[in-house]
Amino acid sequence: MSVLAAMLLGLAMGIVFGFALEKGRVCEAGVIVCQMQMSRHAMLKMFLSAVITGLLVLAFLVGFGFAKLSPKATLFAADIIGGAILGIGIVVAGACPGTVLAQIGTGYKDAIFTFIGGLFGALAFTYAEPTLLKPILNAGSYGKLTLDQLLGVPFPALALGFAAVLAGLLIWLEKLQPWQEEIGPAGDGLPAEEPRRDAVPAPTA
Amino acid sequence: MSALASRSWSPYVAGIVIGLLQIPAFLLMGTALGTSSSYVTISASIAQVFDPSIAEIKYAANHLTGAKNWWQVALIGGIVVGAFLSSRLSGTGRWGASPVWARAMGAHTPAQRYLMAFTGGFIMVLGARIADGCTSGHGVSGIAQLAIGSFVAVTAMFGAGIVAANLIYRRV
Repeated sequence: MSVLAAMLLGLAMGIVFGFALEKGRVCEAGVIVCQMQMSRHAMLKMFLSAVITGLLVLAFLVGFGFAKLSPKATLFAADIIGGAILGIGIVVAGACPGTVLAQIGTGYKDAIFTFIGGLFGALAFTYAEPTLLKPILNAGSYGKLTLDQLLGVPFPALALGFAAVLAGLLIWLEKLQPWQEEIGPAGDGLPAEEPRRDAVPAPTA
Repeated sequence: MSALASRSWSPYVAGIVIGLLQIPAFLLMGTALGTSSSYVTISASIAQVFDPSIAEIKYAANHLTGAKNWWQVALIGGIVVGAFLSSRLSGTGRWGASPVWARAMGAHTPAQRYLMAFTGGFIMVLGARIADGCTSGHGVSGIAQLAIGSFVAVTAMFGAGIVAANLIYRRV
């Protein structure tokens, strides 16, 4: 595919992606911070729904030979260290590398700073990678390993089974608290402001 | 039209829509949904103006050209457009910063929040590049492919995130 055609496809897919992130309210820093404090699970519900859908889609595409998996290499040190740094960054920023762009689209000004910070983070990695980071990145490398290979089970069967387990988890999460409550009255992931206990009641006439 | 103008969809519907994007990603691009490697493509392209030698770094060179790299750059541009359209159709446009920050941190100036956002963005993408993926590449796409590395990265991400969110902030 030519670069231009790929970019037009990317733009169209991105518009759908951004639309869904905004409608699902995961563009809200409040939703992300509450998820990481484990008090409200709107982000996890959307995340797991996307994973389950992906499992079903790939079980079909791979099972019938329409597509091949393109998993990332297993790099234990890099996955653990990088994943942990990423998690801390998400909490400080109140965004993920993808959702920050939805935040910019909705108008949040701080998200522009998050994005620029992200560009500098990528640049710092690029300059540091050949010298500083190579030893970390290559420690505990096992190539493109997937769970179905490890267990010796066909991918479609394991994908469908795992999707069913995750769906059960979602049903339980929804029972804990309905999603409408979790995104809150303003749709920003925050509960309604509680009346201040120290406030003096308004005088009644 | 009402669905497009509604303020929110259930997280299940929104998640399903995102999961379905794997179909064009795999069938047309031969890759999975992801966002964080485009930060390398964009920043290395800008840096190239000031430091042409960056193209000699293999990692930068791998991200500077090619349909897959620029597909992802257009994808993240599309996210901005899609979220803009969605918020304008439903009247959920935002400004400034989220009210969550006043609840989580108490009184602070906008400049303090902007500095924090910049720092958070830096750490976030640095970590994503070390791990070779973020919430979308390792999370949504990696778990859906049952990739061992992605299970490890996502566990580390949520683990560290949960500890950090409870240590740094007040309970929201």
